[in-house]
Amino acid sequence: MLLAGATASSRTLDEFERDLRRTPPVTTGFVDYRFSHLLRKPLQASGTLEYRADGVLARNVAAPYHELTEVLGDEVRIQREGKPARTMSLQRAPQLRVLLGSFRALLEGRFAPLSRDFDVSLAEGAAHWTLTLIPRDPHMARALARIQVSGTADRPECIVALEPDGDAAFTLLETPAPGTTIPTRAALEQRCRLDATATRAATPES
Amino acid sequence: MTRRGWLLLAAWCALLGVGVAWVQARLHVSADLRLFMPRPRGEQQRLLVQNIGESPASRLLLVTLEGDAPPVLAGISNRLASALAARSEFGFVANGAQAPLAIPENLLPYRYLLTDSFDRHSLDASTLEAALADRAADMASPAAAVLEEWLPRDPTLEVLHLVDRWQPRTEPRRIDDAWFTADGRRALLLVETRAAAFDPDGQTTALDALRAEFARARGASSARLEASGSGYFSSIIKQRTQAEAGWFGGIATAGMILLLWYAYRNFSFTLLGALPLASGALAGLAAVSVLFDSVHGITLAFGFTLIGVAQDYPMHLFSHLRRGETAIETARRVWPPLATGVASTCVAYLAFLISGVTGLAQLACLTVSGLVVAGLTTRFVLPRLTPAAAHDPADSALLARVNQRLGRLPRPYILLLLVPVSAALVFWLRPAGFWQNDLSRLTPVPPELLRKDLALRRELATPDLRYLLVASGADGQEVLARLESLDDALSQAVHRGAIGSYDHAARYLPSAARQRARQAKLPDPTELRRLLHEAAAQSPFDERLFEPFVADIARARELPPLTRADLPATPLSLRIDSSLFAREGRWYGLVSLFEVHDPAAMAALGQATAPFVTFLDLKDASEQLVAAHRSHVLLCLDISAILLVAVIWIALRRVSRVLRVLAPMVLTTLISVAVLRACGVSLNLFHLISLVLAAGLGLDYALFFEHAADDDAEQQRTLHALLVCALSTLLVFALLAFSTVPVLAAIGVTVSLGVVSNFVLALLLARGRSA
Repeated sequence: MLLAGATASSRTLDEFERDLRRTPPVTTGFVDYRFSHLLRKPLQASGTLEYRADGVLARNVAAPYHELTEVLGDEVRIQREGKPARTMSLQRAPQLRVLLGSFRALLEGRFAPLSRDFDVSLAEGAAHWTLTLIPRDPHMARALARIQVSGTADRPECIVALEPDGDAAFTLLETPAPGTTIPTRAALEQRCRLDATATRAATPES
Repeated sequence: MTRRGWLLLAAWCALLGVGVAWVQARLHVSADLRLFMPRPRGEQQRLLVQNIGESPASRLLLVTLEGDAPPVLAGISNRLASALAARSEFGFVANGAQAPLAIPENLLPYRYLLTDSFDRHSLDASTLEAALADRAADMASPAAAVLEEWLPRDPTLEVLHLVDRWQPRTEPRRIDDAWFTADGRRALLLVETRAAAFDPDGQTTALDALRAEFARARGASSARLEASGSGYFSSIIKQRTQAEAGWFGGIATAGMILLLWYAYRNFSFTLLGALPLASGALAGLAAVSVLFDSVHGITLAFGFTLIGVAQDYPMHLFSHLRRGETAIETARRVWPPLATGVASTCVAYLAFLISGVTGLAQLACLTVSGLVVAGLTTRFVLPRLTPAAAHDPADSALLARVNQRLGRLPRPYILLLLVPVSAALVFWLRPAGFWQNDLSRLTPVPPELLRKDLALRRELATPDLRYLLVASGADGQEVLARLESLDDALSQAVHRGAIGSYDHAARYLPSAARQRARQAKLPDPTELRRLLHEAAAQSPFDERLFEPFVADIARARELPPLTRADLPATPLSLRIDSSLFAREGRWYGLVSLFEVHDPAAMAALGQATAPFVTFLDLKDASEQLVAAHRSHVLLCLDISAILLVAVIWIALRRVSRVLRVLAPMVLTTLISVAVLRACGVSLNLFHLISLVLAAGLGLDYALFFEHAADDDAEQQRTLHALLVCALSTLLVFALLAFSTVPVLAAIGVTVSLGVVSNFVLALLLARGRSA
């Protein structure tokens, strides 16, 4: 199930998981960048990600608009500024459930739920590590090629979701700096140490 | 027995055999309660009697699976649900699993005719702009990957909106795409049976199918299945009634054989004694199947109870046999009181024949023909088969002693005053709850099953079983339009907290008129592109992205309104069918109500929208119907009593004789009712029928005691006959009194009480003084 990384891994996945383990509540700042063929320009959103002690995963967007998304079990509650809250069941969006599940697993440092839905592999260099998640369900694979998480020591820094059509979402786990412009995709790929070959493999037409 | 006797017996048995075969082929037993109901008064009762009140909620079986790990149970639940959905016994099946999309691809453009999103604010530039801003925010969220596929075609997410709208408001917890109880230990399924809740046979078939499919779906797992719901209850109650009736029947038969052997010391008497009752029962069935298309099960049960009087007829013949007299001569001798008994009872039942209620007319037909044939068999067939008397009860020293002692007992005429006064006192002290109107009390469910059922209903959020709104109209479209017109008032009721929520067919399938109205408001492609241009300016989207959306709207503008016929067999169409249907040429739409907190508000809503919409309180309506039915029966009984007295009068001709014959029966009825009331029992139809049976028995006892006059030997024979009669009847009904099925117990207690009281009173009041 677990592939050894290309670089000789100094930690087993179990040891790695133990190092990453956090006890909720866990809070971190985030900046999301979305590149999509449906968009004239990339989108940016930033705020805080929270994994609360009661099991709720909360994504609180502070800029450029206010939005609070809370996930508990299979229920998602989305509250946007000036609108009534919407609740929906993740049962109807299995891909989203898996995606949000992976966020929760990473924040908490618990990989058991990950390995149910993904083939998980870890590659460790001297200072950095990269965790690659490839969906097992072919239905899921049509919407998501892979998730790549990179970080240093016991801290994940960057989550990249790559779609088969070349679209990509970059989530930087950092406190957003106000007034920053959207970096280029190449800059983000470099920043997140995205394996160039993998990117090409994921975007055959580009 | 003579050669001719044997031939006659063989011929008679052959005739009975042919009769059985004929009745079996012809008799159609129905579970349709309408046969047993009086003509309904008012819209509520009419809807109830037409089974329209047979709400989808009452046909729901609540199914739980437990005894294995949740993922295993979820797998079984999903396999079971799809297997059940394919079977004809079931309609709607839900277990929490859902298709990603409830709308088939070719029907997708219809979403703009089905959605209520643009009813208040039409699809204009500002609506679109708000939608695109929302989608931009979606695109920056993790949901983007899922939404991207739909965005160009459905920027307002109407598909999602419709699926949301069609979801039950509150859903149980889910594990692996299956509903579970909150504790996660039991998987939950909702299964709608096609059979009505009160149809125990249909429900049993459905439950058997459910268990068979479960056995297949379970595989090697240790999971167990449990069911609950009204239909399940009617099935188990019927099974239990049958099991107990069979069990008691077996004991009673054995007891009867012993008793008859002890009384007559001749086994052939035991067998011959069954002949009049068997002939009578068969004749009754034959008469009913000739005159009516189908008979209700209750009619048969009541009818056989009442025909039970005929079991006494052969005893009168056997006990009066004496040496030196042929059985034919004996039969001639016992005929006057016997004939008086048969004739008066039959004439009394004639009142039921003209009652106007099919079930009661059938009951009268069955009973009258049964008793007449049993009486005639005793008079004309049985004597020719009966062997010579082995011994004469008049020779028994024991009986002679007993008879003398009884003869010396004082005649308690004071009872004629005492009994009515005490009964009046009981009725006065316990005025409330004289009659039992609650149908559910007739077939009560063990309380722990009811508690479980209630807990499951709460978990599954099923609609209210008692309250319902019914819209009616000449066709489906009219009904849909009426349902739509209720929406404002209903959502206000939800808002005010009068009800938790509601559901009806028009929420899934709007009327054609409403769909056309929505169609007319949709912009044409040129206009829509202009709107998109305006709305997309401030968004991160290119307006050209939404050409699939423009195409869908253009198609929606041209579509003929969606009708039920366009919908393939999906959970959606099943849901529509169970709440929108035609009965006897008229269309009905049911509004299911959830968590009814204020029934009066719903009743007022029904009043305000009458006569097109009726508020149905199923409990209330059924209670009124039971009360109406009972007053019908009571009226029939009043007429019966008058007819009975008239016949007795004609037969006996003297006031003192008539009074002596009638007194035990009248007093016994008063005593029985008073005792039942004193014990806090509310009377139901089964008590009434039992009282009628007891009265019939008492009349016979009194007639025979009275007939014996003051001849010691004849008194001894009569005493012997009536002891056998009373003991055999008491044996059967005292056993029934121990039944755990309340209906059987009610009959058992009432008849046992009546038999003892009638016997004692007839002995003391009707009999002439010993010489």
